[in-house]
Amino acid sequence: MRFLVRRLGFLLVALWAALTLNFFIPRLMPGNPAESMMARFRGHVNPAALHALEVAFGIGGHQSLVTAYFEYLGNTLRGNLGISTSYFPLSVTSVILKALPWSLGLVGLSTVVGFLIGTAVGAIAAWRRGGKMDSVLPPTFIVISAFPYFWVGLLAIWLFAVTLNWFPILGGYSETAVEQWSWPFAGDVLTHAILPAFTIVITSIGGWILTMRNNMITVVAEDYVKMARAKGLKNQRILWQYAGRNAMLPSLTGFAMSLGFVISGAILVEYVFNYPGLGFMLLQAVQTEDYPLMQALFLLITVAVLLAIFVSDIVTAILDPRTRVRA
Amino acid sequence: MSRLRPLTRALLGAWRFLRRDKKALVGSIILLVLLVVATFPSWFAHDNPAAEIYTPGAGLSWHHLLGTTSFGQDVYSQLIYGARQSVFIALIVGAFCTVVSVAVGITAAYSGGLIDDTLSLVTDVVLVIPTFPLIIVITAYVKSASFWLLVAVLVFTGWSYGARQLRVQALSLRNRDYLLAARARGESSWYVITVELIPPMTSLIVANFLSAALYAVLAASALQFIGLGNINTESWGTMLYWAENNEALQTGLPLWALAPGLAIALLGSALALLNYAFDEVANPALRPVSVKKMKKRMRKLGASA
Amino acid sequence: MRKKFKGGLLAAAFVFVASTSAIAIPSVVSVSSAGAATQVPLNLANEQGELWSCAFNPFVPTSSPYSVGLTYETLDFVDSLQSGKVTPWLATGYAWSNSNKTLTFTIRPGVKWSDGKAFSAADVVYTFNLLKKDTALDTNAVWSVLSSVTAKGSNQVVMNFSTSAVPYFYYVAGQVPIVPEHIWKSIKNPVTYVDSAPVGTGGYVMSHCTPQNIQWTSNKSYWQKGKAVVQTVNMPAFLSNNTCNEYLATGQSQWGSQFIPNIKSYYVAKKAGNSYWFPPVANVTLFPNLKVAPLNDVAVREAISYALNRSTISTKGEYGYEPPASQDGVVSPTFSSWASSAAVSKLGTGYNPSKAKSVLEADGYKMGSNGFFSKNGKELKLSIITNGGYSDWVATEQVMAQELGKVGIDANPETPSATTFASDVYTGNYQLAYDVESGGPTPYYEMRQWLFSKNSAPEGKAAATNWERFSSPAVDTLLNSYGSTTSAATQHSIVSQLENVMVTQFPVIPVLEEVDWFQFNSKDFTGYPSASNPYAQPGLYNEPDWGYVLDNIKPVS
Repeated sequence: MRFLVRRLGFLLVALWAALTLNFFIPRLMPGNPAESMMARFRGHVNPAALHALEVAFGIGGHQSLVTAYFEYLGNTLRGNLGISTSYFPLSVTSVILKALPWSLGLVGLSTVVGFLIGTAVGAIAAWRRGGKMDSVLPPTFIVISAFPYFWVGLLAIWLFAVTLNWFPILGGYSETAVEQWSWPFAGDVLTHAILPAFTIVITSIGGWILTMRNNMITVVAEDYVKMARAKGLKNQRILWQYAGRNAMLPSLTGFAMSLGFVISGAILVEYVFNYPGLGFMLLQAVQTEDYPLMQALFLLITVAVLLAIFVSDIVTAILDPRTRVRA
Repeated sequence: MSRLRPLTRALLGAWRFLRRDKKALVGSIILLVLLVVATFPSWFAHDNPAAEIYTPGAGLSWHHLLGTTSFGQDVYSQLIYGARQSVFIALIVGAFCTVVSVAVGITAAYSGGLIDDTLSLVTDVVLVIPTFPLIIVITAYVKSASFWLLVAVLVFTGWSYGARQLRVQALSLRNRDYLLAARARGESSWYVITVELIPPMTSLIVANFLSAALYAVLAASALQFIGLGNINTESWGTMLYWAENNEALQTGLPLWALAPGLAIALLGSALALLNYAFDEVANPALRPVSVKKMKKRMRKLGASA
Repeated sequence: MRKKFKGGLLAAAFVFVASTSAIAIPSVVSVSSAGAATQVPLNLANEQGELWSCAFNPFVPTSSPYSVGLTYETLDFVDSLQSGKVTPWLATGYAWSNSNKTLTFTIRPGVKWSDGKAFSAADVVYTFNLLKKDTALDTNAVWSVLSSVTAKGSNQVVMNFSTSAVPYFYYVAGQVPIVPEHIWKSIKNPVTYVDSAPVGTGGYVMSHCTPQNIQWTSNKSYWQKGKAVVQTVNMPAFLSNNTCNEYLATGQSQWGSQFIPNIKSYYVAKKAGNSYWFPPVANVTLFPNLKVAPLNDVAVREAISYALNRSTISTKGEYGYEPPASQDGVVSPTFSSWASSAAVSKLGTGYNPSKAKSVLEADGYKMGSNGFFSKNGKELKLSIITNGGYSDWVATEQVMAQELGKVGIDANPETPSATTFASDVYTGNYQLAYDVESGGPTPYYEMRQWLFSKNSAPEGKAAATNWERFSSPAVDTLLNSYGSTTSAATQHSIVSQLENVMVTQFPVIPVLEEVDWFQFNSKDFTGYPSASNPYAQPGLYNEPDWGYVLDNIKPVS
């Protein structure tokens, strides 16, 4: 029970911290969105229109910081996230909903695939310690994970899309395709997702291999695994059902966090591949100083991460009673 | 006792470690070379990397080992001079992050109680805040992201993971006999922490330094790549920014984009390899064992069953 | 991101001249059989770094480029590439009266909105009064001079101005899109109205929009028979230049508005029919802050102007796409007929480093041992700012700094983020700033934007367009006198005198000519604007121009 209370407490404090950060960041930034909008559209200010726009954006009111702060908290809790200034006059919620599925699909799936492959390789490598696979795969992927992933993406585009022409170079689907539930469209989406997904997977495997391998080595040395071996259980069974399961527990929190961060998209992968997801949207919100959109995305990411951690805490606690005591 | 002895011992230890571990050896050599290049770029390149004085888009030649940019700058000398930012950012951010992680993690573990609760909470909160987006916002906010601003931002967002790890290890050490004994002797907290608590954690601290440095290299180059660094200075990320903006890969100047990317990858790999190696030092269970020994042990196990 | 503007001319300044009301419909390829079922779609390549919002409100700058011109039409089309030549659009004619304070339009009969309802003069009156009521919609500031807009008879609209307003014709007739009263009158807040299914009079109807693509189809009941015959037009959303350029180079797109590095090898050589034309439209200019030393000293400004080798800057910073500008402020060849020979001969080639040095020496500056000038112990050290988001401007800024360094001026290039830059330029928080004005259909518009004291503001307050904060009563009088004349000769003579101000007082320093980015492939479609037939600005971000071009493009049969 104490465990649950503590975790909930953490959840609330982290949420509050994120909200507060969210509130202050735009107020630290220079200029204002109305000016920024004017500047983007050729740098000419019609003072009257500018003022009217500022009013439309809700800037320049004379309320005190404290009032504004509580108003912001209230609005956010009620789910009122405001109007996007870069996608003016769309609401922030509708803008986010357009991009969310793409990030969930591409980054979410790639994260899961990366985790599964990395964990499997890590487990096998640790099991066959010092073997051929152990001496080649982990170091290789760890080196690859130290590559700048946007650069890997650029190379992939150059090689496979531009030079070899195997894959399309841009977007989430063919530019003129109509979004619908159909097999051809799904296939189209899939061919567009292969290169960015490949980029994400190949640069993320290394981390999972390392964690899993380390955990696995520790677990393999434990008595119950030795016991299982001594009893002559099949290697496969010991590997996956005894050692693997327990070795995976410490990876779960990390995995949960990266699932949470899926919401933020893989910013640079989306940028490099022209992928219409949230990561790109966030970058754009920053560049155009679209505060409402920026704030909403930040909040969404933080909430997703917190929820993911919370769930993983619970799952870990169920699977491994020791943690309940330790926390 | 000679004051040199601990140092000699450390060097000897390091040497033995390097001899035994090829990954560490390769990593150290790469890092050392890059460090020399970063410190003394003029030994390796004579051209001013910013000067737009050559034929734009020239191919490889003795004068231009990697060709020129579309502005007529020498790619090779940009690469050499660009090393400084990336390497120094890695080392400096790594160092600062480590200091903060050690301070927070160990204080939390050593003090316990409310202090521990508070520090852990702060650590966890910083850990879940979306780092890269935050960096983007902060760097976009300032006029031209200077070197030290980049460092500050990366340290602010990069210390929490290490602090968490160090806290856990310090917690496990806290109640060991020798530490309890030192406290019972009436040693000051400062003494206990620096002399008794930190030394056994050295390898974890080094591993932390390395992963923070790696994080700094990748994050800084990503920021520079999207144009949020100071694009008027030389760095590998900035080179990529200019190469990308001028379609280097598609307009017949692939080296302009390949070289800096490879350089970042090289630096990253060196740090990752060292980190991998240090993990094994930090966690004795991970130390490599030869296949033969392993097989022997297995046989023994099987025999005893 | 390369510099490329979105559409939406937001000009506070104004003024127009335009000599003639000659009515000329651009010569285009003969009407072809538009019914071919196999016509390929026309795909546009226009990187904006964002996903489409699928909003089409013609009065909001974020959405207007995707509806004004092709869905919503203006009263007349004013061609900025032909000194403001007027082509009738929704109006069939216009006349000035009351010493150029009253403008009367005759509205075209027989035009229908795309929902089948009839268009009338009432819609025009409604639209203008909508802008009056809701200032945020009036991005062209037409109501800063208008005093009333009323209907007269069944087909005329009378506009009364508070002053002689000839130059405002460009904004009221050429920039304000006309919307249907029967739809807009029931909209509660037109500023936040998304307008996701725009109903207009134009040749194209938005038929499908996703965040990744906007699709238009030709308006089957368009009032201009034989125009707007391209069946399907797609505008995919591009988040980065590279992918957009690739799309264009491989021939998947037939009309682009891109900055393409190395365009000859990357684009032209890659596909048969690929071609480009970059017509200059305004000046990219160094704004010296006249309120701070040493830039309040004309000698320093003159030295800077002569120190810049503009052709080197053009080649290195912009691949030569943006040609060197002239200190007299006249964009050539677009406005060549306006260049005053006196100003041109005074300038010579415009690049004269030894003159730059001698001007400084005559002003009391001495060359120091470090290679930089100083005066009274103060080194001649200046910072230049430009928009850090535009990589070509940053590159240009670096070359300029190197050029200035060669004559002994220590220039430090800085690259603030887009918003900080804009805010600093508007409020006068800089020494030298590299930026661009919107210009207009004659050189007069840009000069007024630069020099009219009403377009300035006290330091710390946002100035509309006069960012260097130049102020001269004589120049103001000169600028105003242009507003009340329709004589081409008088207008040319006024511009000549303004050019003289430019080359003697150096209030601003034009460096390169801003161009319209335009690539096209002639295999499937024809009828694009060209140097020999510059009937509209071809950049896909110019409204209403690109919609006007779209009306005139034909498939190759």
